[in-house]
Amino acid sequence: MSLRISCSPHLKTKLTIPAIMFQVILALIPAIIASILFFGIQAVFIILNCILTSVITETIILKVRKKPLLIKDFSAILTGLLLALILPSGTKWYAATLGSIFAILVGKHIFGGLGANIFNPALIGRAFLMAAYPKMLTTFQLPKSFSNIAVNSVDALSAATPLSLRKFSQTITPTIDLFFGNIPGSIGETSAVCLILGGGYLIIRKIADWRIAGSLLATTAIISSIGYFLNPLNGSMLFHLFSGGLLLGALFMATDPVTTPITRVGRYIFGISAAIMIMVIRYFSGLPEGVMYSILFMNAITPLINRYTRPKRFGI
Amino acid sequence: MIRIKEFKEPQHNLKSEKFVNPKKLILPLCQHTGRPSTPCVKIKDEVEEGQLLAKEDGFISAQLHSPSKGKILNISNFNHPVLQKGNAIVVLCSPEKKSYSLRKHIDDLGNDEIVDIIKNNGIVGMGGAGFPSHVKLQPPKKIDTLLINGCECEPFLSTDHRLMIENLKEIFIGIEIIAKLIKPKRIVFALEENKTEEKKQINFYINTRKFKLPKTELIILKTAYPQGGEKQLIYAVTKQKVPGGKLPLDIGCLVHNVATCFAIYEAVYLNKPLIERLVSFCGDSLVKPKNVWVKIGTTLQELFDQKILEFINEPKKIISGGPMMGITLTNLEYPILKGNGGFLFLRNHVTEIKESACIRCARCIDVCPMNLLPQEYVKRVKNEEYNNLVDLNIKDCIECGCCAYICPAQLPIVHYIKTGKVYVPKN
Repeated sequence: MSLRISCSPHLKTKLTIPAIMFQVILALIPAIIASILFFGIQAVFIILNCILTSVITETIILKVRKKPLLIKDFSAILTGLLLALILPSGTKWYAATLGSIFAILVGKHIFGGLGANIFNPALIGRAFLMAAYPKMLTTFQLPKSFSNIAVNSVDALSAATPLSLRKFSQTITPTIDLFFGNIPGSIGETSAVCLILGGGYLIIRKIADWRIAGSLLATTAIISSIGYFLNPLNGSMLFHLFSGGLLLGALFMATDPVTTPITRVGRYIFGISAAIMIMVIRYFSGLPEGVMYSILFMNAITPLINRYTRPKRFGI
Repeated sequence: MIRIKEFKEPQHNLKSEKFVNPKKLILPLCQHTGRPSTPCVKIKDEVEEGQLLAKEDGFISAQLHSPSKGKILNISNFNHPVLQKGNAIVVLCSPEKKSYSLRKHIDDLGNDEIVDIIKNNGIVGMGGAGFPSHVKLQPPKKIDTLLINGCECEPFLSTDHRLMIENLKEIFIGIEIIAKLIKPKRIVFALEENKTEEKKQINFYINTRKFKLPKTELIILKTAYPQGGEKQLIYAVTKQKVPGGKLPLDIGCLVHNVATCFAIYEAVYLNKPLIERLVSFCGDSLVKPKNVWVKIGTTLQELFDQKILEFINEPKKIISGGPMMGITLTNLEYPILKGNGGFLFLRNHVTEIKESACIRCARCIDVCPMNLLPQEYVKRVKNEEYNNLVDLNIKDCIECGCCAYICPAQLPIVHYIKTGKVYVPKN
């Protein structure tokens, strides 16, 4: 009889890191489908490009660092996918490739790889591209709505996103378009309904923590309601919830466990503060959108939040 | 707190059996919390069933009795599930059986006499830790609430459940004795909702007024692990928290396991020492799981030799205790101790574990019943930063295993915490 000796406990949940990553990818499938519907073959190329580059970069880095190959944990695929979904459809292939390399190399492995990074790698990739190709990253195209596909226009028309329209021409896009996603924007962020479906799935399955997403969305809703009450040109509550990268950011970026607080109280603080920053940027800054910078900023102060929100031990 | 699949079937519904004829008994001198007892017999001595073999050493210690008539074969080092090795008295049994008669004039006994009887019969807490019962029954402070713990929150194990079904009356007599000694304002009998069979009977006994009990109630708790942990149970029932480093009696509570109540009944009414107990043997490597009354000191090997238990396949792990806090054994040559509620023989439940990096998902923090930061311990122990473990209250960890159970990175968190506790600087 050969018996194993191990420390208790001797039962384990079936939930593993690859399973979590896989569930997140699964939850992004509606958004992927929407991006392909609205932006066609360009979206397919960007998504494939980012995923492939991320996986290859991860493999090379792990080889160089002499670490076991963990491609099977889906984390590189997820980073590539998330980066692709927050790029505009006009992103050139070299930009997408560079962004993915940067996301994996600087966003993740400089800090020590899986679980050790401070910033969300996909957002780091996008922030890098914003600095490197500001024009490309802020030029959005009109989605190929179904009637346009028949016309088969090769050169898509560039257009302003709903948030830019609000900021620079005081025009509010109808909520119904925001809801289904027939609007200019990054390929994966336009369709609110698809993101809600995926994000809701993650929260119901308890893959993502509801505290961050919930507090972030609730705070945004409250602030935008007040803003709408003061001046309808500020955009309604639903306008702010459904426009820009808010849903994608709240449900898939701010819920990344690695870069967000570990304590329950900390998660509320994270969500509320990020929402306040997003709305401040949207209302008062020169930029139309601020989800990326808000989440990156909150990522940076996450260790501080963790430190000051340690739970009191049981019995005090 | 977590909800785990319970795996209580089929042993939950199996009537207990008796195993009375071991050939040899191994009786470790340390089967309780506190100092090991000191032997008061010599090699080759003839002993009777129930005869004192080892005396207590100091206040927190317990006596040890011979579970069978026989001859002392040896007093030497032997396998011990917790201490790995420990001194033990080996008794070669002869098959004679002693019968116990009901003691008369219980009501005439003074409290001190009852405590002495309990002490002289070697009663310890049967829930696992084995704290000497006579110490717990002389609290230096007033006890408001006496909790009777029938939760049995560990998966698989079903001994408390079986005992409550088969010997509930004796348990209530035991509770009556405890209530007489410590005079609590109220008694709370705590069960988990997965134990429905005994619920009716317990309510019946509470309402009959046959037993001299103060205000008594039955509370059914939601099934959760580690609900049966002392501090967790007190919180679930009274919403009071035992402060770190303090005892339940500091907030006026006292917890006794149902099996201990039964042992106290046997000691006081039958003058029978703690020489046998009900043990669950379960797991997918056994032909049939069983709940067996065994004599303390019976080795697992003997149970297999005498075909009480049979393997259906080769187990990958043998665990003394439940699957969440139990200790793995290296072979079958281990004796059953006073605190052992069960043994598991697992094959298919044993999975390959691939430890990966922590992704700070904080599931461990969410489930920790003591509100600690398990992942921080792992990080610090891995980096050998033992100094600030104290500030993170590592000593409050009860090692229930919820964190390691839930961890998606499959980190053996309890292992790291135990390591950390060893290296925590003293003072």
